Amino acid sequence: MRTRLGLGARLLLHNKVRLAVASASVAVGVIIIFVELGFLLGILDAQSLIATLAKGDLLVMNIARVDLHRWDNLYPVRLDQVAAQPGVARVTPVFEDHVGLEDKSDKRVRRIILYAFPPDDVPLDIGDPEQISRRLKVSHGFLYDRLSRPIFGSFKPGDEVKIDKFPLLVGGYVRMGADIVNDGNIVISEGDWLNRFPDAKPIMGVVHLKPGADLETVRRDILLHVPEDVVVLTPWETKMREYESTLRVAPVGILFLVGMLAGLVIGTINCYQVLYNEISDRLPQFATLKAMGFSNAYLRRVILEQSFVLSLSGFAVGLTLSYLADYYIASQTVLPVGLGAATALFVGCLTVAMCAIAGLIAIRRVAIADPAELY
Amino acid sequence: MTEHAKLVGSGAAEVVVARKVSHAFDTATAPIQVLFDVDFALRQGEFVILTGPSGAGKTTLMTLIGALRSLQAGSLIVLGKELSGLSGEGQREIRRKVGFIFQDHNLFEALTAFQTLALAMELSGDKISSGEARARSAKLLSSLGMEGHLDRKPRQQSTGQKQRIAIARALINNPPIILADEPTAALDKETAGLVIDLIRRRVDSNKTSVVMVTHDSRVFPAADRIVNMVDGRIAGVR
Repeated sequence: MRTRLGLGARLLLHNKVRLAVASASVAVGVIIIFVELGFLLGILDAQSLIATLAKGDLLVMNIARVDLHRWDNLYPVRLDQVAAQPGVARVTPVFEDHVGLEDKSDKRVRRIILYAFPPDDVPLDIGDPEQISRRLKVSHGFLYDRLSRPIFGSFKPGDEVKIDKFPLLVGGYVRMGADIVNDGNIVISEGDWLNRFPDAKPIMGVVHLKPGADLETVRRDILLHVPEDVVVLTPWETKMREYESTLRVAPVGILFLVGMLAGLVIGTINCYQVLYNEISDRLPQFATLKAMGFSNAYLRRVILEQSFVLSLSGFAVGLTLSYLADYYIASQTVLPVGLGAATALFVGCLTVAMCAIAGLIAIRRVAIADPAELY
Repeated sequence: MTEHAKLVGSGAAEVVVARKVSHAFDTATAPIQVLFDVDFALRQGEFVILTGPSGAGKTTLMTLIGALRSLQAGSLIVLGKELSGLSGEGQREIRRKVGFIFQDHNLFEALTAFQTLALAMELSGDKISSGEARARSAKLLSSLGMEGHLDRKPRQQSTGQKQRIAIARALINNPPIILADEPTAALDKETAGLVIDLIRRRVDSNKTSVVMVTHDSRVFPAADRIVNMVDGRIAGVR
């Protein structure tokens, strides 16, 4: 005859206050892992933001632009050469530069990133394309990134703002986001930008393929027929390349990996201490089970079941608190720090593994329960 | 009856046969010998009380019979199985056939009386339904004067009631041997009488064999033999 709920789960669920404290101590490790991972992914996502936002099949960039924060432009003719390849429907140029935006309230000029592209072919997923197109066509107008850090002041449509000393009108808003270095973005039309800087060169070309065109064939054609100073990547490849570049160039990877490991170790130690106390407090009962004929394997299962219950409850508490922490961090840093389902699943598996390790160590404690000592 | 026959019992089949069993415990200085060439036997359906002063070796003999310790010297056959050199699994097999009653109840606070008994029933290997298990548990608890306690947890029970649940846990699988250590110490006169009656009934009707360490003179009349141990040796049998 077997009871539905295992002994390990029953022992833990019996004392709710004790379970809450135990869950909280395991959650400490979970929260550290979540926050560190959230930071890391937030930074990586922020650094590769433009690749995520690009709405196209391929991106063409200068081969010297090994990461998205370099300013190596393309010769404009390269975009025409790419557009001439069979399978390519069109290529949309994207210009990028940094400009000074003056805050009306304190007259301070702050650096902000400017993007420019043709209003009729919005190449970035930053809002309703029709609205963006309509607003960008207003001469001397610009769209302000709502997700910029609040250091630039507040703007409303119709306000006149000086950008590099030229007055421009706020035409509306887009949604992009800041990264570690850049605090915000504005968007203007390609025409306005070229009007001011006729020699400006695009930083990127967003390539749209003809229906049915094979991506790899088009890529091969481009690389074959366009001079070798370009690189052709999909937006996803660009994003992954940026991840890799950020991790290689900046010490954030190691920094957050060490942080995650610290969370893992802290969580394991806390879980072990909880299990150790659970076993120690019930050593005579466990010895009694041995005297009755239960095997060490059964007792191991009880402890591992306890570690599994702890991992679930600790994860639930950790997930809730991490969500709140990430919400706060995101609101303060304007970095895309957040919990995706994949991240949560990964940390969930890590938590189960963490508690299983603690359980396997704690099992040694139950092994010393000596039934002969009961008499 | 010869002296040896008195020591080992006679008549019915022997479920425990100890020959020249010696045992020592290691200490920091030197080993301490607690049993010296003990010969002992327990027949099927026999109720034996072990008595004697503290340190006489009663408990050690019980733990050896229950396969809770490994045998060091001599021969000990329990339910037809020689315990000398027995593997861990072999020891567990013996333990599953023995009902242990300890001085402390050692109940899990998280489990109700029924869950405690159900846990013990898992060892029996019998495939019984939850309903049957409840009925069996209720009947046993009732015989111990604990009707209506099936779904109570230890914190809802008195010390005597907890001890009776521990006794029920030892009896629930109808083990052929019961090893009990002062089972009536925490019980009042009336409850102690109930427990002794129940154990005696098991001896008479189920042919269960019982070895009990006790100094409770109320129990003595229920026993078939009283074995007195002194200094690791059997000093006398009544």
